[in-house]
Amino acid sequence: MNDALRQVGLLVSKDLRIEARGKQTISLVIVLGVLIIVVLGLGLGDQSAASGFTASSILWVAYLFGGALCFEKTMAVERSDDALAGLLLAPLDRGVIFISKLLANLALMAALALIVTPIAIMLFRFQLRVPVVEFALVIALGMLGFAAVGTLFSAAVSSTRLQGGLLTIIVFPLTLPVVIMTTQILRRRQEVGGTLDPQGLLSLALFDVVFLIASWLIFEFVLEP
Amino acid sequence: MRKHKRSFTPIFWIITFILYGVGLWMTAFYAPVESTMGIVQKIFYVHLPVAISTFLAALVVFIASLGYLLQRKMWWDDLAAAAGKVTALYCSVVLLTGMTWAHSAWGTWWTWSPRLTFSLVLWLLYVVYLIIRPAIDSPQRRALVSAVYGLAAFLDVPLVYMSTKLMPDIHPESIALEPAMQRTLLVWFAPVLMTMGGLITVRYRLTRASRVKDEERTQHDIAPAIAGAPLGGAL
Repeated sequence: MNDALRQVGLLVSKDLRIEARGKQTISLVIVLGVLIIVVLGLGLGDQSAASGFTASSILWVAYLFGGALCFEKTMAVERSDDALAGLLLAPLDRGVIFISKLLANLALMAALALIVTPIAIMLFRFQLRVPVVEFALVIALGMLGFAAVGTLFSAAVSSTRLQGGLLTIIVFPLTLPVVIMTTQILRRRQEVGGTLDPQGLLSLALFDVVFLIASWLIFEFVLEP
Repeated sequence: MRKHKRSFTPIFWIITFILYGVGLWMTAFYAPVESTMGIVQKIFYVHLPVAISTFLAALVVFIASLGYLLQRKMWWDDLAAAAGKVTALYCSVVLLTGMTWAHSAWGTWWTWSPRLTFSLVLWLLYVVYLIIRPAIDSPQRRALVSAVYGLAAFLDVPLVYMSTKLMPDIHPESIALEPAMQRTLLVWFAPVLMTMGGLITVRYRLTRASRVKDEERTQHDIAPAIAGAPLGGAL
């Protein structure tokens, strides 16, 4: 168990170190996120400040597209110079590789959210109408399920011709239930007030667990040099 | 054996069409007209069997995908592809019949209730399944990605099924039917399920035949080259 944790730590730090040196993915993802916010914010005009639901939905769109780009790039790193072959030859469980890729993706998505959300609030006066902690909790749960499926499929499609386009078209419909649940929980919280709907949170967490376990089990089959 | 197959196929389809005829006759003349909704309620006799068949076709995709991942035999992939096409087709029929019903019963073509939303997601999932298959060149890679996708896409089926039980929904959870209505519904199940099975079989045989042909052609082209025979005037 300790060995597995150490391996996960090593792999995640490797991915994040590569990212810290090149800053290729994070810069690309943040620019994309800001672009989406600006395009949708300008398109909606003054409405964006008025509706909390619109604000959180626009942010979700930025997180989703940014996230899909993260999945593609973190796996592309392994494809260059046949790094994946080396990784597969190393005495590692495939589950460890999955968890480490998932954590690297989540770290990148968290960085995206931390930078894009304040920009959206400043530029377009986005009002979330939900305490930041609750907003972050719901979004984090949504991102976990999204990243689990995304990490799995980034490994499956990374050697195909279409790559990015294919990844988004696969991951978006599969994770729609998670996206729907997340937006519904936020909507109910904004409209009804009180606390976050516990049943909604439980369903979202259950979906995360199913996505995580299924992706973790299937990952072994899709990882090929 | 092959002769048996050939003679069985037309009989199968003739029986299916006869059953459709019986179903249509019972819908028109045997089952009574529902008092509040009127004639539009009769769409239900098609809607429910097609919806159940959609779930079953999706289950075939799921099983075939799992089979491919465990055994890596290409015929599992052919079966999944055939069932995927039928799932998308049947799901389209479910949405269209449902929308016609909704327009009459609720006064709107579409409403974002949980069951309708998850049904639309199901349709999207299997349409995307059909789009991603030809987008991947390598047959092994295509089979692998499709199998993983086929497994994950099936997660939506229990959501569609349980949505009316778990969440407040405008879609009826169950409908009380008169005995004549129940019999009509039962009769409709037979041809709809038979068509589903028949279509999957037809698509599977076609895909299988073309794959076998491709493999034969590849072997025919490559074998002389491997054996060191002259390649002839082609080069």
